Amino acid sequence: MSSHHPDEVLLMEYSAGSLSEPMALCVRMHLEKCSRCRGQLDMLNSLGAIMMDTSSASHIAATHSAEDVSEDLFSTIMNRLDAEQATTTTDKPAAKTVSTSRLTPLAKLLGKELEELPWKRQLGDVSVCDISNYFGTGERVTLQKLVAGGRAPAHRHGGTETTVVLHGAFADSNGVFEAGDMVVLDEHGDHRPVALHGEDCYTLSVLTAPVQLTGRFSRMLNPFIR
Amino acid sequence: MNVIHQQTSNINKGQNVTPLKESTRRAERSKDHWSQLLERVGHSQDRSAYHELYQHFGPQIKYYALSNGLAHMAEELVQEVMISIWRRATLYDWRKAAASTWIFTIARNQRIDMLRKQKRSSSEMAMETEDLWQIPGDGENDPLPSLHRIIAERRIRDSFKHLPEEQVTVLAKVYMEHKSHQIVANEMGIPLGTVKSRVRLALNKLKVILQDQDL
Ligand SMILES: [Zn+2]
Repeated sequence: MSSHHPDEVLLMEYSAGSLSEPMALCVRMHLEKCSRCRGQLDMLNSLGAIMMDTSSASHIAATHSAEDVSEDLFSTIMNRLDAEQATTTTDKPAAKTVSTSRLTPLAKLLGKELEELPWKRQLGDVSVCDISNYFGTGERVTLQKLVAGGRAPAHRHGGTETTVVLHGAFADSNGVFEAGDMVVLDEHGDHRPVALHGEDCYTLSVLTAPVQLTGRFSRMLNPFIR
Repeated sequence: MNVIHQQTSNINKGQNVTPLKESTRRAERSKDHWSQLLERVGHSQDRSAYHELYQHFGPQIKYYALSNGLAHMAEELVQEVMISIWRRATLYDWRKAAASTWIFTIARNQRIDMLRKQKRSSSEMAMETEDLWQIPGDGENDPLPSLHRIIAERRIRDSFKHLPEEQVTVLAKVYMEHKSHQIVANEMGIPLGTVKSRVRLALNKLKVILQDQDL
């Protein structure tokens, strides 16, 4: 069980399906380890279903016109299903969609073990592997490796950095972060992580450029330092 | 926060007192209409049940697409979601989710999928939409105990009616228009902090936030 969770606002954007793919991946890697957030997400998905129901109902009430779905469209759907059934030999096509693989989406994306990646040595005990190109969302997506017992040099972030621990653990002034733990740091955060437990620590980070807002600007709060 | 705590411990107490079998039986009886229809599609490929699901959820899915500004693919989305429902109905387990929740996640994933396909060739991306957005461990992990889940779901539905409009508006923008909280804040001309606190107020009221003791 993880102890550093995405905040409910982030989890809601995940439930709504509106996060960018790199951010969704961070949340997804957290969910892998966190039953508490899986339960919370279940509830948020129920809320999504209610929103879908009530929003369309109030739209219908307001405009006095139902968003009709026609019988023609239903026939089209049934014809497609019949055609499909005729070409498939198995009588239960659904069985094909069951994934037996327990690989995480990150493992599927990388296609290799974390140790085998083309790591680039950076400052001190930190190595980095940039995977932004897999996504093309404009966010900087990196994997980081902090060698066992190693210490990263003190650094600051431009923009907001969301990090999830993939393997091992690290500690910094904000606390101890084990596999699955998530931390959001904004540009004011200053941290100096140390890898724990005598093993290499691997993390996934998404760096989002600072949001340019004037006047009403309110900085993103780090949910873990309240 | 105390209020939530109270609620959580009450639920837990309820669960401990009720023997599992009895609670399963009680949950079975409170299975909703749409979940029963969906089971009929899964078990016996019941076409009239499927048609009823289409009439109920079809307009919702269509409106879901329209709210996203995807009018040009609204009918396509309805079609893809309905096909998906038929194909997967055998996998549906009422103990894990109400039919409406199950269908919502399919609609959400199909929408993401369709937008992805528009943007790039799907081969470029090794990650399946499903892998990225579905709760991991479905089928292995214990789902929320069924009765507990059904009660929680019903409670969300009931207390939703009493939410102030300003909170409903924010939730609708996030779920129906897929806006980030930051964009909602910009649009409404209010600080991000205010948007977030409205969301938190709503979630507290709906008791979506259940286990604050772990925070
Ligand atoms: Zn969590």
